[in-house]
Amino acid sequence: MNSGSRRKTIDTVLKVALAVLVFTLPLWIKNPTYMQILIFMLLYAYLTTSWNLVGGFAGVLPLGHSAYVGIGAYTSTILWITWGVSPWLGMWVGAFIAAVVGTIIGIPTLKLRGAYFALSTMAFGEGVRVLAENTVKVGPCVVGGPQGICLPLVPGNNLALFQFVSKTPYYYIILIMLCIALFITWHISRIRPGYYLAAGGEEPEAAEALGVNVSKYKVWAMALSCFMTALGGTFLAQLTLYFYPKQILGLDFSFELAFIALIGGRGTIAGPVIGALLLRPVSEFTRIYLSSVLPGLHLVIFGAILILVMIYQPFGLVRPLSRFYDRMLDALSGEKKKER
Amino acid sequence: MKRVFRHTLKGVVVFGLSVLLVLSAGQASKAAGPKEIKIGNILPLSGPSASVGLQNKQAVELATEKINAAGGIKSLGGAKLVNVFTDSKGDPNVGVTAAEQLINTEKVVLISGAWNSAVTYPSTQVAERYQVPYVVPVSVADKITERGFKYTFRIAAKDSWWTDYQFKFLEEQKKLTGTKIETMAFVYENGDWGTGMAKQWHERAKKFGYKVVLDEAYPSTASDLTPVVMKIKTKKPDVILLTSNAADAILLTNTMATMKVKAKAIIGTGGGHADPAFRKNTGKNCEYMFDVVEWETDLGRPQIPALNAEFKKRYGYDLAGESVDAFASVYVIADALERAKSTDPKKIRDALAATKLCVGQGKLGIDILSYDCIEFDKTGQNKHAGIVLVQFRDVKGTMERVTVFPTKVARPGFKAVFPMP
Repeated sequence: MNSGSRRKTIDTVLKVALAVLVFTLPLWIKNPTYMQILIFMLLYAYLTTSWNLVGGFAGVLPLGHSAYVGIGAYTSTILWITWGVSPWLGMWVGAFIAAVVGTIIGIPTLKLRGAYFALSTMAFGEGVRVLAENTVKVGPCVVGGPQGICLPLVPGNNLALFQFVSKTPYYYIILIMLCIALFITWHISRIRPGYYLAAGGEEPEAAEALGVNVSKYKVWAMALSCFMTALGGTFLAQLTLYFYPKQILGLDFSFELAFIALIGGRGTIAGPVIGALLLRPVSEFTRIYLSSVLPGLHLVIFGAILILVMIYQPFGLVRPLSRFYDRMLDALSGEKKKER
Repeated sequence: MKRVFRHTLKGVVVFGLSVLLVLSAGQASKAAGPKEIKIGNILPLSGPSASVGLQNKQAVELATEKINAAGGIKSLGGAKLVNVFTDSKGDPNVGVTAAEQLINTEKVVLISGAWNSAVTYPSTQVAERYQVPYVVPVSVADKITERGFKYTFRIAAKDSWWTDYQFKFLEEQKKLTGTKIETMAFVYENGDWGTGMAKQWHERAKKFGYKVVLDEAYPSTASDLTPVVMKIKTKKPDVILLTSNAADAILLTNTMATMKVKAKAIIGTGGGHADPAFRKNTGKNCEYMFDVVEWETDLGRPQIPALNAEFKKRYGYDLAGESVDAFASVYVIADALERAKSTDPKKIRDALAATKLCVGQGKLGIDILSYDCIEFDKTGQNKHAGIVLVQFRDVKGTMERVTVFPTKVARPGFKAVFPMP
C-alpha cells in the first residue's frame, strides 16, 4: 500500500456516507416542518451558490439579488396563471429574462468598485420592489401589487405542474439543483475563464495589465448568476405557493444571501453551503422563539455572527472546518496529509 | 486563489453530520393527551396590529374557558378545547409558516385566524392544501371566500358589505339633512385590506356620483403621516373614508386635529378605529367621527352587559366587534365538533358547512351578535353577517361609540350628528 491510501479510503467512505445520507434523508425525517427547514436550507445554499459566482469569484458585493429571485418567481407564475405554461418551462423563461436584465445592469455597474457596486445593485433591487408593489395588472397578467400572488392550488402531487402536497419531491428537486450549481461552480473554478474571473476579482489592475478582459468575464458571471438565481425563484414560488414584493424582492432577502456567503466563505465552493447550514437554523429558530421579542432579530444575530467571523476567520468558516476535517482524517488514518 | 478553490466539500461533511444529529434528536414524537382538542390560532401578537390581535386572543380564551367549564365537547366524552396561539406579526410569510407548523407539528384539528386579511389570504391556502378547516372570524377581504375553497369559513361580513353600509348611510343622511356631498377622499393602509376597501369605494362612488379628489394609500407602519394629512387639507373633501390599523388610525386622527382638517363626515372602516386604544389615545379628537362595525356594546341584546362587564373586569377594556366575532367563532367551532362527533378534519369541515346557529338557542357566543344567525353559504361565507354605523360621542364626559345606523337598532335617544360640527 502506498502512503496516504488509507487516509484516502476513509475520506472517500465519509463522503459517500454523507451523500447517501443526504439522498435518503426524507426516509428518516417524516415531520414536514423539519423537511421544510431542510428544504429552505438547501434553497438558500443554492441561491447563495448562484450569488457566489459574482459575489465570490468576481470579487464584488451584489446586494440586490432578490430582484432576480423575484424575476424568476413572477415570470413563471404569471406565465402559468395567464397562459397555463407549466412552471417547469416558465422557470427557464424567467431565468433567461433574469440573465438579460443581469447583463444590462452588469455592464455599467460592474465597472464600479467597492461600495459603489454594492449600492447600485441595492438601488436596482429596491427599484424592482417598488415597481412590483405599484403594478397590479399589466394587460392580462396579474402582478398583484403589494398583495403579491397566491398560486392556484392543484390537488395532490402534480409533477407536471411543479406542485406537491408532500415535501419529499421539493427536497429532491432542490437537492439536485444544488448539486448542479455546485458542479457548475466547481467546473468554472477549474477552467481558464474561472481563473480570469478570480484574477480580475482579486487584482483587477494586475489582471488587466496581463491582458485579461476583466469586465467581460464579470458580466458573464453576472449573467450566469442571475440565470441560476431566477431558477431558485421559481422553486421558491412553487414551494410556498404565495409570494409578495416585500418578501421576495426585499433587501432582507438580498442581505441574507450575502451574509450566508460571507460567513460560510465567499469565493469558495463549499462556503455558501456551510453558511446556509449554519445560518438557516439560526434564522428559523430565532423566528420561532424570539419573534415576539423583536422582529428582525435574526438579522441582528446574523450581523453579530458576521462581525465575529470577520474578526476571527476573515475568509469564512470554510477554512477552520476544512482544517478540522483534515485533522480528523489524520487521526483516523494515522497518516499525515501531504502538504500542498 | 487556487488554494481557496480546493476547500471542497470537506467542511460540508462535518457540518452536515452535526446538523443531522440535531435534527434527528428533535424527531421524538409528542404524545397528545386524551380528551383534548387542539385548535390552532394565528393572530398578530406583535407588530402594528398587536393590540387587536391580543383582544382577539383574550376573547378566544374567555369563550374557550366558558365552553370547557360547561362540559367541553359532550359528543367526544367531554373533551376540552385547547388553544395553541402563534404570532403572525401581521406578516403573510410568517402566517404561512405558522399555518404549516400548526398543521404539521402541533397537529391541530382546525385553525382560526388570522385577523389581517393579508395573512388570512395565503394561510387559508395552506389549510386548504392540507384539508384542515380554517375558521376566519374577522378578516374581511372579499376574495378570501371567493377562491372555491372547501375548508375556509368566514363569520364576519365581506368588506364589500361594509362599504355598502358606509354609502347607504351617506345617502340616507343626504336625504334627512339636505346636506350637499360631492367630493370624497380615500385614505387607507396599503395592505390587502386597505386596497380591497379602496377598490370598493371607487365602484360605489362612481355608482352614486361622487367625485374622488384624493386616493391615498400609506404604509400602516409609518411613524409620521403629516404628508398624507397635508394632501387631505389641500383637497378639502366633503367626506373622508378611512381604512386604518390601530397605530396609524390614532396618528391620522391626531394629526388631522392638529392641522384642523374639517369634513362633513369622516368615516372609518372598523379595524384600528374599533380598537379601544383609538378612543383612549385620540380623546376629544375623534368626537363625531363615524365608524362601521359589525357589533357594538350598546346593541339591544340582553346578554351583552354581563359579558362585557366580565370581559372589562378581566382585561380592562370593552368588547369590540372583532372580539365578539372571535368569541362567537369558538362557539361555532365547538358546535361543529359536537355535531361531527370526531376530530377528523374532513368530518369537522362537513359539520361546519352545515352550521345553523341562531340567537336564542342558549349559546352565549351567538346571543350577543348584532344579527340573528350564523349560516355559511357554499363559498364558506356567513350569509347573515350584519353591519352597524357608530358615531364617536361624548356621553357624560366619556367618549363612547354610539350606534346610529341602521336607525332601527340605534341607541335609544341618539341620532347621528351630521354634518360633523
